Amino acid sequence: MELLDRYLQAIEFWLPKRQRQDIIAELSEDLRSQIEDKETELGRKLEDAEVEAVLKRCGSPLAVASRYRSQQYLIGPTLFPIYRFVLAVSLIGCVVPRFLIWIAFLLVDPAHRGYLHMENLWATVLYFAFFTTLIFAILERSGVKLQGLDTWSPRKLPPVRDPNRISRFGSLFEIAAAVVFNVWFVSIFWPGPAIDFYGVRITIAPVWQVFFWSFLFLAAANVAIAVVNLFRPYWTPRRASLRLLFDGIGAGLFCGLLKAHLLVGISASSIPAAKAIELTNLINTWIARMLPWAIVTMLVMLSFDVYRIIRLRCVHLPGSSIGPAVKDLSSPMVNGN
Amino acid sequence: MSQSNGNHDLFENLRLELRRGCLSLAVLSQLRTERYGYTLRKALAEQGLEIDEGTLYPLLRRLESQGLLTSAWREEEKRNKRFYRLSPEGKLMLKQLGAEWQRINSSLNGIL
Repeated sequence: MELLDRYLQAIEFWLPKRQRQDIIAELSEDLRSQIEDKETELGRKLEDAEVEAVLKRCGSPLAVASRYRSQQYLIGPTLFPIYRFVLAVSLIGCVVPRFLIWIAFLLVDPAHRGYLHMENLWATVLYFAFFTTLIFAILERSGVKLQGLDTWSPRKLPPVRDPNRISRFGSLFEIAAAVVFNVWFVSIFWPGPAIDFYGVRITIAPVWQVFFWSFLFLAAANVAIAVVNLFRPYWTPRRASLRLLFDGIGAGLFCGLLKAHLLVGISASSIPAAKAIELTNLINTWIARMLPWAIVTMLVMLSFDVYRIIRLRCVHLPGSSIGPAVKDLSSPMVNGN
Repeated sequence: MSQSNGNHDLFENLRLELRRGCLSLAVLSQLRTERYGYTLRKALAEQGLEIDEGTLYPLLRRLESQGLLTSAWREEEKRNKRFYRLSPEGKLMLKQLGAEWQRINSSLNGIL
């Protein structure tokens, strides 16, 4: 019976402490009864191989012991989808922008990519994953009830999303913001040899004229699109392409502006001349260093524009699963306006 | 070959799922009279319902913790054995589950 005792000892190790003796006594009784019945049937003692077969049929010690424990999990099935979503968003938010900016620095300004410390990225990812898991495990353990789990109602659920619909509030906000910003932009940055800005005289390179009029034209174009969006609140392929074109031009102009070393000089009664030169160079350098960040931001913005066009085009393909089906046939998108 | 293995695994999973609920009912029904684990297993096996010890004993403990069974250690044939029987709540539950089983069985007979 040595094999049986070893088997029971192995099971005992994994059992809950309070029930150990009780469970082992009962299991031992069952297995001994099985062995004795076989011995009676065969009329002899069982050999080790036969006892081994009985025990193997019973299952591995860990598997047998696990059946006596209630099912345990770190994060339960209710919280798990939220945990997975939060983890994915935090990890993507942590890794992707950093990686894109690192690539942009490599391409545009390799000398200054060092301060992004890519080697720390994995440590950051681990911290994010660890703390997210820890917080959710504590929530699970403390039995926190999710708000709305019991009090939900179909009426409180968000309306069905139509990604091609443009929010009227968004269009109005865009128009208002553009008007306010452009009035301020024109009043302060009207092209000339110098700009007086709160007592500081800023001398700007002549190339600023090109940027100024281009930005003004773009702003007018974007306001025009926003006005059309306000009255026809569905994206159409044509309008989405125009938005991509204007955003592309704007992105190119903005990146060019950062590299143009526009600032020629600063003068103010309170700043000594040498200090003003130093400050001018410093500002130009830091503006140029923003280029990789700007490139990434612009690329993200343009990729949204491109995705919008792809989605709109796919809606018209038979059997396409991208984007929702056009439900409202009276919407301008169908007419291609 | 792998698809056949996949089908076999799927069948095994579904079969286990199907059996799981039935086993509680079968065990409760056999404990109208007092039995200990090994004789209970033998009684079920004789009626065509094999159940291994790794499944039966945790199930007995669960049913006992739910108040459906009572148990007591007693010596029989010079060995200590744990005897189980239905509690009054267990008897009521067996009656209700038996009726539910009959309903499901007759519905499924009609469906299948």
